[in-house]
Amino acid sequence: MTDQQKMVSIHVPVLTRVEGEGALHLRIQDGCIEELKLRIYEPPRFFEKFLEGRSYQEVPDMVARICGICPVAYQITAAQTLEKLFGVEPPPWAKAMRRAMYCGEWIQSHSLHIHLLATPDFFGYDSAIAMAKDHPEVVRRGLKLQAAGNALMDLFGARSVHPVGVKVGGFHHAPTEDQVARMVEQLDEALPLAGELVRWAAAIAMPQDDQAFTSVAMEDARYAIEAGDISSGLGMSIAAEEFEQRFNEYQVPHSTAFYSYMDGQPYLVGPLARMNLNGKQLPVSIQTLMAETGLAFPNTNMFMSLVARAVEILYALGEARRLLQHYERPSRPDMDVSPRAGIAMGCTEAPRGLLWHRYETDAEGRILSARIVPPTSQNQGRIEEDLRLSLTAFGLDHEDSALRLHCEKVIRNYDPCISCATHFLRLDVDRK
Amino acid sequence: MLIGSERIKVVGIGSPSSDDQAGWLVIDALANKLPPDVELTKLDRPGSLLISLLEKADKVILIDAMQCGGSPGEIRHFALGEWANYRTGLSSHGLGVFDALMLAKELDCLPETLDLYGIEIGSALPGDQPSDAISDAAEKLAYRIAKGLTAPLGQVAQ
Repeated sequence: MTDQQKMVSIHVPVLTRVEGEGALHLRIQDGCIEELKLRIYEPPRFFEKFLEGRSYQEVPDMVARICGICPVAYQITAAQTLEKLFGVEPPPWAKAMRRAMYCGEWIQSHSLHIHLLATPDFFGYDSAIAMAKDHPEVVRRGLKLQAAGNALMDLFGARSVHPVGVKVGGFHHAPTEDQVARMVEQLDEALPLAGELVRWAAAIAMPQDDQAFTSVAMEDARYAIEAGDISSGLGMSIAAEEFEQRFNEYQVPHSTAFYSYMDGQPYLVGPLARMNLNGKQLPVSIQTLMAETGLAFPNTNMFMSLVARAVEILYALGEARRLLQHYERPSRPDMDVSPRAGIAMGCTEAPRGLLWHRYETDAEGRILSARIVPPTSQNQGRIEEDLRLSLTAFGLDHEDSALRLHCEKVIRNYDPCISCATHFLRLDVDRK
Repeated sequence: MLIGSERIKVVGIGSPSSDDQAGWLVIDALANKLPPDVELTKLDRPGSLLISLLEKADKVILIDAMQCGGSPGEIRHFALGEWANYRTGLSSHGLGVFDALMLAKELDCLPETLDLYGIEIGSALPGDQPSDAISDAAEKLAYRIAKGLTAPLGQVAQ
């Protein structure tokens, strides 16, 4: 092996109560990337099989356990898909409150990512703890925003980790007017902080790394969160029912997690894809702030994902406030549901991107089969493609530590479920 | 009032997985042993949420399961200076107790008094019951905590 041949292995240890173990395998020869494989070797979790034989009533709470960061995405997608299957249209109150609850998940997930994971990279710190020594106000602001998101999830779900409020047909419980009024006060306090966050994020000197990629996100009359069709930057617009005709999951030998391609090509889901396709739908006040701070979307620099998250926090806070400001507690939080046999598909925009579900039930509403396509697996092909382009642009002759940090930064742009673990990247370089 | 106007919280961290319930068992054992103004909380991987919880208290007692190579049931009290030695890294999904405490320290969010106890555990298999050693240790630690909080007025409940 020559000096230009490097074997890079990035190992992620197994974490308690955490999904995900991964590695990046990189071989460089003659100044070119010869081989690049993002290896995700998390053990199969069998969630889709667990659901088989279970009553439809159990599904929202079961799928919430798939992710501790975005349980609301899983349970709302499941509830809505099963409602579609049973021909049930939840009342407007339930639809609006689900969107508000979903906003809470975006706020907490994005805040966590920006302040605890991503920004230390851009300011030369190895962790948020180190960054907090010099910039406590930044981390404190992030935790306040995260707390507002958690409070929203808590309001409807009784708890922010694995909430239990959503059911097929509506909610198990409706908060009181007083509880919602206090929540609105907390949102009012958080909104100026989110505006500051956008200004602060826009001023970060991001690496310039423009790439060509296809954005995929849902589209709706409003900035799509919990409802809409699936669209792409190539002009595609399809219903959830057509997903399987355009998107294919498949396995690769080096990873136990599925890869997903659209029409045979990798694609991007998540905040940057949403901003690229739907940013023009944001309220005028946010558009003005973006113009003032020099932010422009569509944007092909993946490092702008952090800024897209900041903008989405601001939007989600305002949207939740809009939905809650004239809140009236309904006489009942749900509606009767009569199960029936059938198949239905549905999707929503999880914090990390498009989340698609498919369920088949028998006449009693027992699950015969389930299929769940999460955003992280959809982004894996794009992450590999990005790493290949980004590392080449960065320069393959950099020191190992610099290469590792750049790989981490690139991977973290996608906030994948292994992003937390990439803080532990170990780089083994074999030079001969 | 037992401790004047102090806001006191006792927080047990755990999961439903056999010995990992240690922190929760201590909270169960403390039920009805403390005055009602002492807040008892069971948490599952609190992560950064722990920081906001710490902010709103004058005194916090934290109990978590630990695996430090000892015998199941061993109880250890951690001093502030030891936290940094037990950090394993910062992550969004797996933000550990020590990480959260270190972050709270940097943000000046720690309560005036913070006691951190670890109970050495063995198996943490989902669905299993905790071992007798863990149940006994939880009772023992609960007694010690109750004694510490109520001794001034001689109200320790056996």
